[in-house]
This record gives sequence, C-alpha cells and structure tokens, in this order.
Amino acid sequence: MRIYQLIFLISFGICFLSCLYHFFRTLFLTRPREYAKARGKVLPAVVYSFTGAMSPAHKETAYLHLPTYVSGLVYHLGTFLSLILVFLFVFGFYPFKVWLVLFSAFLAVSFLAGLFILVKRIVKRGLRLLSNPDDYISNVLVTLLHGFVFVTLVWHPFVPVLLVWTSLLMFYIPLGKLKHMVYFFTSRIYLARFYGKRGVWPLENTEG
Amino acid sequence: MKETRTASQQKALGLFTEKLNGRLISHLNSCVHCGLCGESCQYFLATGDPRFIPGRKVDLISSIYRRYHTVTGRLIPKLTDARDLDEETIREMVDVIFGACTMCGRCSAHCSIGIDIPLLVRSARTMLSEMGLVPGGLQSTVDAAIRTGNNMAIPRNEFVDTILWLEEDLKMEVNDESAAIPLDQPGKRIMYTLNPREPKFFPLSISAMAKVFYAAGEDWTLSSNHYDVTNYAFYSGEDQLAAELTERMVAEMETLGAKMMVLAECGHGSRSHRWEGPEWIERSYPFEVKTAVELLAEYIRSGRIKVDPSKNKLPVTLHDPCNLVRLGGVIEEQRYILKHTVSNFIEMTPNRTNNYCCGGGGGQLSMSEYNDRRLKIGKLKADQIQRTGARIVATPCHNCIDQIMGLNQHYGLGVEVKTLGEIVADALVL
Repeated sequence: MRIYQLIFLISFGICFLSCLYHFFRTLFLTRPREYAKARGKVLPAVVYSFTGAMSPAHKETAYLHLPTYVSGLVYHLGTFLSLILVFLFVFGFYPFKVWLVLFSAFLAVSFLAGLFILVKRIVKRGLRLLSNPDDYISNVLVTLLHGFVFVTLVWHPFVPVLLVWTSLLMFYIPLGKLKHMVYFFTSRIYLARFYGKRGVWPLENTEG
Repeated sequence: MKETRTASQQKALGLFTEKLNGRLISHLNSCVHCGLCGESCQYFLATGDPRFIPGRKVDLISSIYRRYHTVTGRLIPKLTDARDLDEETIREMVDVIFGACTMCGRCSAHCSIGIDIPLLVRSARTMLSEMGLVPGGLQSTVDAAIRTGNNMAIPRNEFVDTILWLEEDLKMEVNDESAAIPLDQPGKRIMYTLNPREPKFFPLSISAMAKVFYAAGEDWTLSSNHYDVTNYAFYSGEDQLAAELTERMVAEMETLGAKMMVLAECGHGSRSHRWEGPEWIERSYPFEVKTAVELLAEYIRSGRIKVDPSKNKLPVTLHDPCNLVRLGGVIEEQRYILKHTVSNFIEMTPNRTNNYCCGGGGGQLSMSEYNDRRLKIGKLKADQIQRTGARIVATPCHNCIDQIMGLNQHYGLGVEVKTLGEIVADALVL
C-alpha cells in the first residue's frame, strides 16, 4: 500500500467514526423524551420528509429557486458519485467505455453546478452576508473533488493527487458545515417527528 | 474567550448548555447557509433586509453554539464565524429574535435541510430571558399571568360579573330560563378555557360558544380560577414560568374533575397547552385535550347541532393561525365548519400549512416597540385578504384577530373579523 492510499484510509476512518458519533449522539444518546399525546403518525411523516416534502411540488425553496435546486441536486449526486469512484480508484478499479463517458459527463456538469453555487454565494449580497470562510472552503474542497475525479477518470496517474485532496476533505468534514451530511438526516427526522406527531405531515391536502 | 462576560451572560450560556439535546444539537448543526429561506419569511419579503433572512437568525444562535460547543469554534472562531455572546451579538439578537420573528415556522416547512427554526429562535429567547432582556410589553404580559392568573390581570369578581351578565343575555337570546354559562362546576365533561381578551374586550365570542354549547346540550363549565388559555412564557422563552402556567391549568382540571380540556380559539394557547405543556411539566396529561375548532367540527359532523349556511350570506375567507395549523395539525376542521355554516367561503392563497403569518404571532402584539414593523410585514396578509374580496375574515385565534383588526384599520380593508364560534353561533338552528 502506498503512503497516499494509507493517508486516505486513515482520514476516511476518522471521518466515518466522527460522523457515526454525531449521528448516534444526536438521534439516540441525547434524544429528548416526549410527553404530549400524538395526533398523527411519525413513520409516514419521516418517509414524507425525505420524499414529498423535498420535492419542488411542495417545497417553496425548490419551486421558487429551480436553477439552484437542480444545481444542488446535481452537485450532491456528483459528490456521492465522486466518493464512490475514489474508493474504486483506491482499489485499482477504473470504469471504462460507456461508464467512463457517463461518469465523466456527469462530473463535468456537477463540477459546473458547484462553481455556480460558489459564484452565487460570492455575487449575491444577502448570501454573502450569510456566508463565512467555512462555506467557501467547503464548496472549494467538494467542487474540486468533482474536478479531480473527472481528471482521474481520463488520466489515471492523477490518483495520488486525488487521494491527498480527498484526505483533506475527509479530515475537514467533521470540523465545519460539511457535517450536514449527518445532520441533514437527523434534522429531517426530528422535523418529521415534530410534524408527524401533530398530524401535519404527510400533507393530505396540499391546496394553496 | 473574552473576559468581559457578565454573570447573566454566563448564566444564559449555562442554561443554553443545559437545554442542549439531540433535537436542538441537530438543528444547530444543519444550516448550510443557502439563504433560500428568505422568500418564505414575511419579514424578509416585506423589508428586503438580509438580517431578517431566517438563515441569518439561525446563524445568530448557532454561531454561539459553535463558539462554546465545537472544537473549531473554540480554536479558530473566525473559520465558522463562531461568535461570543457579547454586547453586540446580544443587541442584534434582541432586535431580530424578538423583533423580527413571529415563530410561525413557515421557513422551517420550506427549509432545504429541514431545520426547526422556531425551536432555535425560542432557544435564543430563553437565553435572552435569562439575561432579563425580554421586551417590556411581553414580559409584563407573562408577569401578569403569573401574578393574577390571567394575562390581562382581570380580577376574579370582574370576570364572574361578566359571565353572569353574559348568562342573562344568553337566557334572553335563546328564550330559555334554564340556559346557563356554568362556572366552577365539578364533574363536567368539558372545562372550556378562554383567552382573557374575551372577557375583557370580546365578550360576544364567549356568548357565541355558550350558545353553541347550549344548542349541543353540552355538559361543560368555565373556571373562574384559571381559565387563561394563553401562555406568553412560550414566546418569552421562560420554560419555568411556562411550566407553572401549565401546572395551574392541569391542577384546575383535576380540581374540577373535568374529562376534557377544550382550548379556546387561540393559536399559541392551543399549541402551548396541547403540545408544549406536557414537555414543560415533563408528564402526560391525565385528561383529553381538544381545540374548540375540532369540537365545533365534531358537533356539526355528528348532527349534534343544526346549522344553516344561508344565515351567513356575506363572503367569508379564512386565515389559518400558524400555531394551530402548520404547527398544530388542525388543518381541515375549520374548512369543514365554514363549508357548513356560510354560503360563500373563499380560500385565500396561499393557505393551510403554506399560509403566511398575519404578523401578530411570536408575542409581537405585546411588544409595542416593533409596532411599525409588525404592521409593515402584515401587508402580505392584508393583500391576501383583499384579493379574496371577502367581507368577513374568520380566524380561530384571538392574536390573529387583533392583528387583522389592526391591518383592517391600517390598510383600509373594510372587513369584519370573527371567530369560528361566532360564525357557528350565527348559523345555529335552534
């Protein structure tokens, strides 16, 4: 095993354990007891929370901001794809033929989506005021990951650079906003518990 | 960390730490600063002020969390803009957390991540209350409830006189000497609560519900000791006082031995007593809790009361109180009631869980320092109402009624504002 592979595996281990800790602490170890008698059901609300409630049909932040919503969706899919591909590269697997073309094309688009989000954060005043250095660092780390995976797909010797970059990303995830890869799920579950118990979610009549 | 922190700031931080649980930690860590929530908030929509973007409000409180509870925030605060709880932060918090949020939860329902923003805002209010920074009007409303048993400080004898007078009126109206507004009677099925604004300013809404109870042959009572459905400590963030007010209501239910507590038409009161109360006192209620809206719908559905929609001919629209609807799950009952009691019901757009707050929630009506802002953000609601062409606005919340009456005057809407009880009472066939 080469040194850059080892660094990557260590960084991944640290990141994974840290995320696991955040997940279990939030959802199980410190979950508040609830005493109010429920009016609705939690489980259908949790399902709705990750499906209908996220769709542009119901979510105002999605249907009022479709370009950003689509960019965000593509960007996150690109991130998942990048991480899967990094693992394949570590173990010496490289997609070829049609997969190579598909993955490269998608990552090119997701890289552009990341750039779009970054530029928007820099250009829009309200968003700029809301942002801190962590927002920019996180975006650059992830967007360049897409770019580096794209380069590696077409030029395999780039693997060491990619793995060092990914290691940086892994070390950084537990420190800043990228922790939302855990907290996104726990927050949506808690919000679904809140709305589900009160009989608000899943929405039955969505008129208006 | 700065050494200038005062004892009250230390206490506030201690309380904040004490309150941290999985739910709060989760929501404090989730914001990605996408800023898309701005257009779901009437404060931002009405003013365009970026300080009012809900994400910015989230960041105010989560930046304090980051400063004192994360490694990065402790070591490199500038990286994540982790802020000290200093004078500047506190000043901004008071203005934005108290003065620019009705805790309506519209931003949460549409948040890209799913952050419970009102929960965070209330946590910030809890910290501010620990530092004695609750705006005077809101604090005195809470204090009055604690001191006198109701937030309008109505003396017991004055309340009893009002009820006796209303009872006489009821007897005349229904032409039945046995018609009554029972007071402090034990062993009844229902103990009905009131918003103190009813005995003080809107006694007709009590008469209306009494008439409905009479028509339904209900077994009910009012309490003269603790009838106040409101709980402004929910808005001031004072958990201990909120728990005390809840305990008093539970004790009154137990003293009277009623089987069901029916919550008057009050959005935050319904939410406080039904959903938050058991959490504040850390136990489930030994009785059933229902809102007046659910009860009225039940009466009509079961045929227990007869109503004639042709008795209410003017066009009626409905304002959905946030705490009852989006944050309380009572969504379709009010529509069922109106469809059976008025001849022309027009929905405003958007409605139901997507409805805009009237601007009177979050304790705004009691904080006079923010009056201009409150009326300005109410423009959205005024426009919604105007677009329906309705002559009557029905809303099951006394806070909303006050705010909409204010908007009515300010924007010249020319509408009448009514509770659902009043509309049902007008449609009764006796």
